[in-house]
Amino acid sequence: MTSQRLTRVGVSASTLVLLASVAACGSSGPSGSGGGGGGEGGTGQVWALQDTTLNPIEEASIERFNEQSEAGDFELATFGNDPYKQRLRTAIGSPQAPDLFFNWGGGNLKEYVDAGTVEDLTPLLDENPELRDAFLPSVLAGAELDGKNYGLPMRGMQPVVLFYNKSVLDAAGVEVPETWDDLLAAVDQLKAANVTPIALAGNQAWTELMWAEYLLDRVGGPQVFQNIRDGVEGDWSQPEVLEAMTMLKELIDRGGFGTEFASVGYDVGGASTILAQGDAGFHLMGSWEFVNQLGQSPDFVEAGDLGWAPFPAVTGGEGDPSNLVGNVSNFYSLTADSENKEAAEEFLSTALTDETYIDDLIAAGDVPPVTGVREKLEEAENSEYTTFIYDQTVDAENFQLSWDQDLQADEATEMLEQLSLFFLGEQTPQGFVDALSD
Amino acid sequence: MTVAQTATLPEAPTGATAAPPVRRRRGGSTSGRRERPNWLAGVLATCWLVIVAVPLYYLVAASFRTRQDYLSTSPLKPPTDPTIDNYVTVFEGGFLTYLTNNVIVTVATVAIVVAVTVPAAYAVARNAGPLVQRFFSIMLIGLAIPAQATIIPVYLLITQLRLYDTLLAIILPTAAFALPVALLVMTNSLRDIPKELYEAQTLDGAGPFGVLRNLVLPLAKPAITTISVFTALNAWNGFLFPLVLTQSESTRVLTLGLWDFQGQFGTNVPGLLAAVTLSVVPIFVLYLVGRRYLLSGLTAGFGK
Amino acid sequence: MSSRGSSTQTGQQRPSAWYAAPAVLFFGLFAVVPMLLVVYLSFTDWDGFGFPQPSGAGNWSRLAGDGEARDALVLTLVFMVLSWLVQTPVALLIGVWAAGRQRNRAILSSLFFLPLLLSTAAIALLWRSVLDPNFGVTQSLPFLGQFNFLGDTSIVIYTVIFVITWQYVPFHTLLYQAAARTIPASLYEAATIDGAGRYKQFFQITVPLLRYTIITSTVLMVVGSFTTFDTVLILTGGGPGTTTRIAPLYMYITGFSAFEFGYASAIAVLLLALGAGLSLLVTKATGFRDMNSQQEGA
Repeated sequence: MTSQRLTRVGVSASTLVLLASVAACGSSGPSGSGGGGGGEGGTGQVWALQDTTLNPIEEASIERFNEQSEAGDFELATFGNDPYKQRLRTAIGSPQAPDLFFNWGGGNLKEYVDAGTVEDLTPLLDENPELRDAFLPSVLAGAELDGKNYGLPMRGMQPVVLFYNKSVLDAAGVEVPETWDDLLAAVDQLKAANVTPIALAGNQAWTELMWAEYLLDRVGGPQVFQNIRDGVEGDWSQPEVLEAMTMLKELIDRGGFGTEFASVGYDVGGASTILAQGDAGFHLMGSWEFVNQLGQSPDFVEAGDLGWAPFPAVTGGEGDPSNLVGNVSNFYSLTADSENKEAAEEFLSTALTDETYIDDLIAAGDVPPVTGVREKLEEAENSEYTTFIYDQTVDAENFQLSWDQDLQADEATEMLEQLSLFFLGEQTPQGFVDALSD
Repeated sequence: MTVAQTATLPEAPTGATAAPPVRRRRGGSTSGRRERPNWLAGVLATCWLVIVAVPLYYLVAASFRTRQDYLSTSPLKPPTDPTIDNYVTVFEGGFLTYLTNNVIVTVATVAIVVAVTVPAAYAVARNAGPLVQRFFSIMLIGLAIPAQATIIPVYLLITQLRLYDTLLAIILPTAAFALPVALLVMTNSLRDIPKELYEAQTLDGAGPFGVLRNLVLPLAKPAITTISVFTALNAWNGFLFPLVLTQSESTRVLTLGLWDFQGQFGTNVPGLLAAVTLSVVPIFVLYLVGRRYLLSGLTAGFGK
Repeated sequence: MSSRGSSTQTGQQRPSAWYAAPAVLFFGLFAVVPMLLVVYLSFTDWDGFGFPQPSGAGNWSRLAGDGEARDALVLTLVFMVLSWLVQTPVALLIGVWAAGRQRNRAILSSLFFLPLLLSTAAIALLWRSVLDPNFGVTQSLPFLGQFNFLGDTSIVIYTVIFVITWQYVPFHTLLYQAAARTIPASLYEAATIDGAGRYKQFFQITVPLLRYTIITSTVLMVVGSFTTFDTVLILTGGGPGTTTRIAPLYMYITGFSAFEFGYASAIAVLLLALGAGLSLLVTKATGFRDMNSQQEGA
């Protein structure tokens, strides 16, 4: 009996030791980076999306705040895109919730607001009118829901821009298109010149989405999508959707994107390379594409071959040609349960408009959504491009957030899926409308 | 290549999993049976060889090319001006961190599996009690449970245990899902020990723990090697658990690192291929050193 | 967990059930609990916020009427069958061939096994760049260049199966090679004396004697079809469109991109049920239960 008991003890003890040692090595490895635990009223947690260029700038801004402010300290935790969305959902409302969290505004933020987890920042802005005035109104509106403000812009503006390869266009005798009909004509000319007219990274539907977003806006104006999003006045069956999708179908069938786009990625061997290598004429992409090209194909950019233009107008369409789509900006929002509210509000009202922070963002190629930075942009590198982006956003009558961020996650997933089927020709314009409006 | 031979013996088909990498019958009974060459199989084998070799050649060759060289000429061309820049970039991109994480995950997973499996298999092999046998049956059902199907509850469990984004979050479920196969292999191996040996130990006055230490552990060494290799390969190559249960750079393992390199390098295909090549190197070294053990572990694990 | 009655009743010093306790604990917490939890989750509408609360059987009635889920499941089965049809003959023939003793075969077969050393992620990424429609290897070759292997919806399924075959054939070859070596040469010698040709020998001796290996290999392929998830995710992401969105991938996307964890759990339960069914097949086909009971008295 004693020996039996001994072995029992032995076996369980060895298990314990083993588990403990594993636990030790497990926790020493990751150094607890993503782990929350902001709720203790100690160091506040700021969560943001991973970005090799921008994270150090945000980190520095938080450090400066920690040094200057008496109210409390913050630390930054960063996440990749998909993990960020997953992690934030499960953490919000739990003791592991961050105090300030990064978001895209719009419907993405709305889910959290509806769940009662986001602090209303309108009082803060009312108390500090100069803070409200510091941001471009069209951008600040990106985090506004039912007239209340739930977030302040913290990164640059990223409208979607029509990029082109100048020498390819010149060789084919194509002018930069100003209207949709110009674009269709350009497609025919580029095809005749044996290049893919438009590079499209079609293995991910968000690249295709940019075309649908702009077309619907140009055809029906921003209200059409806003109706869909809010689910009040009308859904995908509004006639403008069908009209826009029919025009897009025409572009696809005409061979505007070539025949191989379905397996082209934005990452490996992707659409950017095709444009830079002179195998395509146009590429519709977010404004970050400039920095991307500069990094990946510096020769192409430095030779002055990379051009950019606003999305063409649609003759007779409702939407103003100045309207933009894309990432309006990114926002910091404050969680309703935060135990560091005072410090967080102080951070929001000082750190985001801090001169050093803005300068750092500009130096990194970002275009901050802050009033009066045009002169600074002119003095910085690549001013030709950054002032273009700035002017576009300042002049835009409307700046629509990307649909996949503005819709709720489940609707967005369904919409992207239908869109990729549409681009493959497996869904007609009417089929697209029907599939989404049920 | 004698590892899985018992798999085909009609009387004990599952014995395959228990077969230790024994060295026997090299150049044995089948030699000399071939009189004329088997053309069909030979042609097929050659075709397959080309299919296997070309991508691997491309992988290594292209990883030594500059991006511009790669984009402007045929991908199959040998590098005109070989460069190791891609490898430098990969090392600067956190490769060593990922490698270290992979090693920690693999070693810890193997340690758990071996430490937990050996006593359990001993109990199953030598204790006919209904409790133990029922446990064994349940574990066998676990054999074909696809780990993918439990990823959502595992995610919930790991976040509730506050283990999200730690290496432990990868280690624990990986080890748990390696247990059924390991237990099956180990149990079969322990059952192959003649019961006279157990009885002799008992007659000498050894308790169960003594038997475990003096008899079972030494005789189970080949099986322990097999399950270690099998578990290690699973842990080394695991993708889904790291994908869902970790996120930051400090906890990133190699497989996930590769995926991330793809985004990080943007359109730099040679850089990505250099990362892929580097990720194969540790296993390749293992293959050169202990090919027999590696292959035995693979077959034991049903190649999951 | 009681050890009474099982440890010392025979008078011999047998290990108590406690020896299995760590394994039980471990497997219980990280494998059995999730399996039970996934069933619970399938009755919630958990969208990732907070802790899941029960919400009835809505997910299940939705699953019953979900054409996309049905498509994904059918696709999974198609994958299973097609990969079996491709992999089995190739692995069987090469395995038998490699069981021969010539020196060049040893060298060649060690080359065959190289894909085994690459992780799924490595293989999928490698093939993605090999098959890239603009800068890939196939694009630069005379005949293959005309195909868009990952972008053409009518061929992408076969592309994925090909890559999976490339990945797993070496493993099955290994099984067949080892098994073929245990066939006594005398059988072939006798057959040759009787005047049986090579193909007759193959179908009358080799294949019947390898039937247990064929069963094992088949079962492993079937079960393995669930693990092709990672390959498909990296290679095509389920696309273009939904052409290669197999059931496990559908579950993953529903859960981790649309955040419908409740509904994704219902799909997961379905997959688990399939897995358990296959598990029964494993035990039946390999005769493990029989062996188990034979040895119980030992």
